[in-house]
Amino acid sequence: MTVRLDNLTVEFDQGFRLSQINWQIEAGQHWVITGTNGAGKSALAAVLTGAGDCRSGGIENLPARVGVVSFEAQADLIAAELKKDDADILDVISEGTPVHKIIFDDCADPETALDLIARFELDYLLDRAFRKLSTGESRKVILIRALSSKADFLILDEVFEGMDTATLSMLEHYLPTLIDNVTMVMVLNRFDQIPDFISHVAYVDQGQLLHQVRRDDDKSYAELYQLLHLKTTDLDLPSVDPETVIPHLDRQQPLVQLNGISIKYGDFTLLDKLDWCIEANQHWQLSGPNGSGKTALLSLITGDHPQCYVNDIVVFGYQRGNGESIWQIKQFIGYVSTALQWEYRVGTSLRNVIISGFYDSIGLYSKCTDKQRLIADQWLALLGMSERADQPFNKFSYGDQRLLLIARAMVKHPPLLILDEPCLGLDDMNRQLVLALIEKICAGSETSVIYVNHHPEDRIRGIDNYLALE
Amino acid sequence: MSNNYFNTLPLRVQLAELAKCRFMHISEFPDGVSALKGKKMVVIGCGAQGLNQGLNLRDSGLDVSYTLRQAAIDEQRQSWKNATENGFTVGTYEELIPTADVVLNLTPDKQHTSVVNTIMPLMKNGACLSYSHGFNIVEEGMKIRNDLTVIMVAPKCPGSEVRAEYVRGFGVPTLIAVHEDNDPKGEGLALAKAYAFGTGGHKAGVLMSSFIAEVKSDLMGEQTILCGMLQTGSLLCFDKMIEEGVDAGYASKLIQFGWETVTEALKYGGVTNMLDRLSNPAKIKAFDLSEELKVLMRTLYNKHQDDIMTGHFSSTMMADWANDDKELLGWRADTAETPFEKTPAGEMEISEQEYFDNGILMIAMVKAGVELAFETMTAAGIIADSAYYESLHETPLIANTVARKKLYEMNATISDTAEYGCYLFNHACIPLLADFMKGIKSDVIGHGLNNDDNSVDNARLIEVNTALRRHPVEEIGATLRGHMADMKKIV
Repeated sequence: MTVRLDNLTVEFDQGFRLSQINWQIEAGQHWVITGTNGAGKSALAAVLTGAGDCRSGGIENLPARVGVVSFEAQADLIAAELKKDDADILDVISEGTPVHKIIFDDCADPETALDLIARFELDYLLDRAFRKLSTGESRKVILIRALSSKADFLILDEVFEGMDTATLSMLEHYLPTLIDNVTMVMVLNRFDQIPDFISHVAYVDQGQLLHQVRRDDDKSYAELYQLLHLKTTDLDLPSVDPETVIPHLDRQQPLVQLNGISIKYGDFTLLDKLDWCIEANQHWQLSGPNGSGKTALLSLITGDHPQCYVNDIVVFGYQRGNGESIWQIKQFIGYVSTALQWEYRVGTSLRNVIISGFYDSIGLYSKCTDKQRLIADQWLALLGMSERADQPFNKFSYGDQRLLLIARAMVKHPPLLILDEPCLGLDDMNRQLVLALIEKICAGSETSVIYVNHHPEDRIRGIDNYLALE
Repeated sequence: MSNNYFNTLPLRVQLAELAKCRFMHISEFPDGVSALKGKKMVVIGCGAQGLNQGLNLRDSGLDVSYTLRQAAIDEQRQSWKNATENGFTVGTYEELIPTADVVLNLTPDKQHTSVVNTIMPLMKNGACLSYSHGFNIVEEGMKIRNDLTVIMVAPKCPGSEVRAEYVRGFGVPTLIAVHEDNDPKGEGLALAKAYAFGTGGHKAGVLMSSFIAEVKSDLMGEQTILCGMLQTGSLLCFDKMIEEGVDAGYASKLIQFGWETVTEALKYGGVTNMLDRLSNPAKIKAFDLSEELKVLMRTLYNKHQDDIMTGHFSSTMMADWANDDKELLGWRADTAETPFEKTPAGEMEISEQEYFDNGILMIAMVKAGVELAFETMTAAGIIADSAYYESLHETPLIANTVARKKLYEMNATISDTAEYGCYLFNHACIPLLADFMKGIKSDVIGHGLNNDDNSVDNARLIEVNTALRRHPVEEIGATLRGHMADMKKIV
């Protein structure tokens, strides 16, 4: 029978909420729920057991018999045991409930339980008090209880965590034997642990079920992997190349100062007398409708707009139009835009695309150093693309190209990173990938970010200055 | 009228000048733009070359402004708009030329005499006059004031690419030269190098040449293989396909985009690679056709080179200038009326490989044209490096213009000088190949070979492969493309 969650909003303790979940689990499917810590994975799994207060929407065909293994279930049982101990009715020292009682009381399938005890080699502790078990041991007990409950649904929440190698390998062989008789819903945040029998992956973020991907949809599966990788890897931005040092800037001085700038084409005035000052360490969001001059304004900063020579512009200490070269300006800037991606139609390798960021070039025309190669490889690892380092850039998906261009822009740790509609033309998954990477950069470096977009929902944590063009 | 400078030189000097061409290594540019730093550069003309070179030079930190004729300023012509919208100072000759340390003459050949005669009296003592084509000096014998330094800096690409490659962080191959008669302070080479650096040319390769070698090789290349061969080939191949019953839209498309596709292979790996893209039977077929074409066309290629060397070509063309371009404009109108030009490319898909398989004759024409132009130039004393750039290297660039808008676009993009020479070649070449074309069927143009199997005779294949690989244009090509690869040009 199909379990159906329809536009379901559920609240939990501590104000956590799952919002507008639409999800169907059909017979024969086996799911993994994944996402970052605190995203709501366990909460979503728990909803299948009837947990939480339903605020709107509903669930149909909630499974009758659900076996649950989770840290919460384990904690609940332990707490219950401790409570028994506290309930000091009899004036004797309680040993607590022995393990065999925990397992066999109300056991629907004692035969399976015995089998599992043998497999887990737990005979020796059947008579021990449950609350005296180690975490790993009590985990196994909970698992045996769930597996021998003749459930039609098994919820295994991070069941592999804290298990030793022997147990993991036992489970790896054992779980697939169950799948014809039970629907599995596993919570995992590592893709490499996903068992082969899993048919679907659900991705949860901030209490929302954002993606549902079929295991056999290779492309989406790979993208989801990448997204999770970016979201969960502790980001240490790869280091700076000591050979390609950007000249030191006085951080008391503004990075960019535009004084009463105007852009005119013939009789048409695109921008008129605009002032804009960007201090070091400020992050800015620039918005405005199509044709309001966002890109033109940015290209005054980057030096790509020819009228930068007839305006009062000071960038990185250079008053423009005094004999500086455009490459002296560009060395301070990392830049990503859709236009750049269109221009970047080269068949060069992913690694070279990233290295080209050291030279502000489209394509690589200089011999790179070993150190630059190393740093490029670190960026590829960060993006989860290490294995594809030598493949040609132009054969990659639009979203992957965008991620690579952001890495290219960041490779030299520029004082200023300009992201001109970095999510334009990307599907939802890729948009989140890009935003995840930008968030990491905002949080993890000294780079000031100018972020241009139309979509208010693409807000980025850490950006608190706004300029809106009309 | 004019006084051909080349013809005033003794043979010894003519040969020495023709043989000048040396590929400069990027390490020869350690001084960057410093020889031009702080100097005032004034550009005459704001067309594609003028504007884009100026944008690059300014972005390299140099002081660039534009001078236009009073009328162009008063009427706010396109050249005036180009310069002002890009934030450049614009002034009349009288206002700006006297302030200039370097004057960049980037006007069309035809205007050189009148422009140079106008500005020369205004130029300050000891300044520098720069050309991007040596026609005025070499063919018209323009005499420049003794105190002025005369150099040439000629990017070997259309103006739009000069800019686009610079913005990418690269550049385009650039030829530089110093006019030996006008280098009073011995600073010509330093200025030319700084200028080439400022446009980004040093990254893609600079050829140190002479005014004479540039003019005599440039004219030869553009008239024969680059524009003439593509024009003649387009017209003949199209008419043949129609005669053979090939769909007109398909024929139009195969030619319009075929030149670009097959010469892309040429760009990467020379004539050898272009033919290697064919099946073995097709390769042998293309080889045989091109050998036949070379025999038929050699006298015509020789005639073009001879007329360029003696000055006959330039005097013929200058006579047409004097006659209000009557011939040029008439031929241009004729081209617009050809069936190829008037038939739009069809909507069908043609895969990259299909352009090779069904365009065997086009490949044979490119091979014959490149090899003949190269052989003729080197036989005339132009050295191999120059001959390579003026034949094989530029063919894909011109083929690209045909892909954009057929022969109209090609002839609109190239200089009037090239266009005039192209028509001359075309008019002689079409009747020359009339008999040859009678024997051509759609198996080599339009449909491709219809072989059941691809077997070939071993000995014959080895013979063909060896001949292809041993041609001198392939040897110098491998070396020069190697230089490019050293610079890690990642195309």
